[in-house]
Amino acid sequence: MNHSLTLGLRAMRETLRTPDSLVPTLLIPLFFLVVNIGQAGRIFPSDDTDFLNGQNYAAFQLPSSLLLAASFGGAALYLVEEIEGGYFDKLRATPIPRMSIVLGRLYAEFVKSVGITALMIAISLALGVRIESGVAGFVLLVVMVSIWAMVFSGFMQLIALKTRSAAATQAGGLVFFPLLFLTPNFVPRNLLTRPMEVAATLNPVTYVMEACRSLILDGFDATALGKGAVVIAAAGALMLGLSVRLINRYD
Amino acid sequence: MTNGQAEHPSAIRAVGLVKTYRGSTGEIEAVRGVDLEVRSGEVFGFLGPNGAGKSTTVRMLTTLMTITAGSAHVAGVDVAADPDGARHKIGVALQEAGLDPRQTGRELLTLQARLFGMSSSEAAARAEELLELVELTDAGDRRIKGYSGGMKRRLDLASALVHRPDVLFLDEPTTGLDPASRLTVWAEVRRINQLGTTVFLTTQYLEEADQLCDRIAIIDQGRIVREGTPSALKDDLARRRGDGTTPTLDDVFLDATGRTRVQVDGDVKEIQA
Ligand SMILES: Nc1ncnc2c1ncn2[C@@H]1O[C@H](COP(=O)(O)OP(=O)(O)OP(=O)(O)O)[C@@H](O)[C@H]1O
Ligand SMILES: [Mg+2]
Repeated sequence: MNHSLTLGLRAMRETLRTPDSLVPTLLIPLFFLVVNIGQAGRIFPSDDTDFLNGQNYAAFQLPSSLLLAASFGGAALYLVEEIEGGYFDKLRATPIPRMSIVLGRLYAEFVKSVGITALMIAISLALGVRIESGVAGFVLLVVMVSIWAMVFSGFMQLIALKTRSAAATQAGGLVFFPLLFLTPNFVPRNLLTRPMEVAATLNPVTYVMEACRSLILDGFDATALGKGAVVIAAAGALMLGLSVRLINRYD
Repeated sequence: MTNGQAEHPSAIRAVGLVKTYRGSTGEIEAVRGVDLEVRSGEVFGFLGPNGAGKSTTVRMLTTLMTITAGSAHVAGVDVAADPDGARHKIGVALQEAGLDPRQTGRELLTLQARLFGMSSSEAAARAEELLELVELTDAGDRRIKGYSGGMKRRLDLASALVHRPDVLFLDEPTTGLDPASRLTVWAEVRRINQLGTTVFLTTQYLEEADQLCDRIAIIDQGRIVREGTPSALKDDLARRRGDGTTPTLDDVFLDATGRTRVQVDGDVKEIQA
């Protein structure tokens, strides 16, 4: 725990020293947000679209952008650089639990995501979005997205540990990408075409997105939040279990 | 140490070490039954041609890689059974000086000391001390990214020493260094050894082994082919040659690794000398 924090602080220092790496994480999701609102905003006017609860379309789109920003897996790219460069072995030569090396990076990823998520929500407030669930809902939204960012980059770190190659890790991230879009990211699930509805229903990311959206549009919806929490907890447990296995057997 | 090794304080003892890599192209037997006995306080040289298995042996002895067969004790600790116990007693600088380019030298040393369990003030003091030892005090607060190859090597050496290890492993500590930097590293190795640290170093430079090492072993294709003090190995070769010439360590190396092999159908076969 202690060592994970020490390594987490070091990973944060690393991020702060490479601020350039934050630019795409922030700009690409904002770009999609603005473009999607611009293109679909007139199809879904706020006073005439049921699922918007009186808000504008940006409120509906925001969760997709937040989850996109949480899915860059920056931690894994630093990790693989460290494996390729050999510094990883120097850390492995110390008497710390192997898992702290993974956890340290995940903690830093959480902090980074809190900053980015809060900033993106602040920007969308300026675009007229309101958080129906209030300040407590805002905090919950930021925490939920940031834990998801940890889980996602944890899976990317698994690829990094397995392949030990930067190119493979980047390519591996693309495998997860469809999961972000096989979701009800433009309209609610019941308005999707049948095949898409099935895909979205099977896709766990859907429930994280719907939980986030419920905080923005509806207030506190126990069912939606519960499903989101279960998905995040299950994915997190799987990621941690696999990480422990992989890093303890790293050879 | 309670395991009865007190009468024969051996810093490193390996018995029948084997490492088999499993790759896409099948299995590679990189180390094929290496026995080593390094006494406490020695500087021990580990020589061998490229691909002989030096780094693989170092990685097994330093807990960084699993041992396929055989056993190894370092400073009395079984590296496979108690890796964390061994890590407290082992310092290691690997062949590719793996450093984090985004930290400063001081930050890297402090972090390493923290991970070995020191408090932040102890770690800061130790980092300062080590920067002085390897003459990097002035560069200590610059990012490692801007260090020269020699500076990186010295920082790597310092980082292997944060926890005052009993046994220091150096994998090709002077490869790629200019002659002056090489002499600096030699001086540092001697100083560290005089303070009581056993040093196990691999090298491609026979002169380095001759200058620094009390005893050496030569490994070829995963097997130890010679072992002894440099002078004993030279004497042995002189006796076997019997032509009155005085062999150098280079001759010993070539004799040990060159003439014991013949190429057969592109496959390398071992012949006993
Ligand atoms: N990770 C690995 N996977 C597969 N084979 C490996 C791996 N690492 C080393 N080898 C092989 O094992 C053998 C021994 O390699 P090793 O790096 O131990 O040699 P070395 O004596 O340190 O050589 P050098 O002087 O070039 O550093 C070589 O044939 C090498 O190709
Ligand atoms: Mg090597």
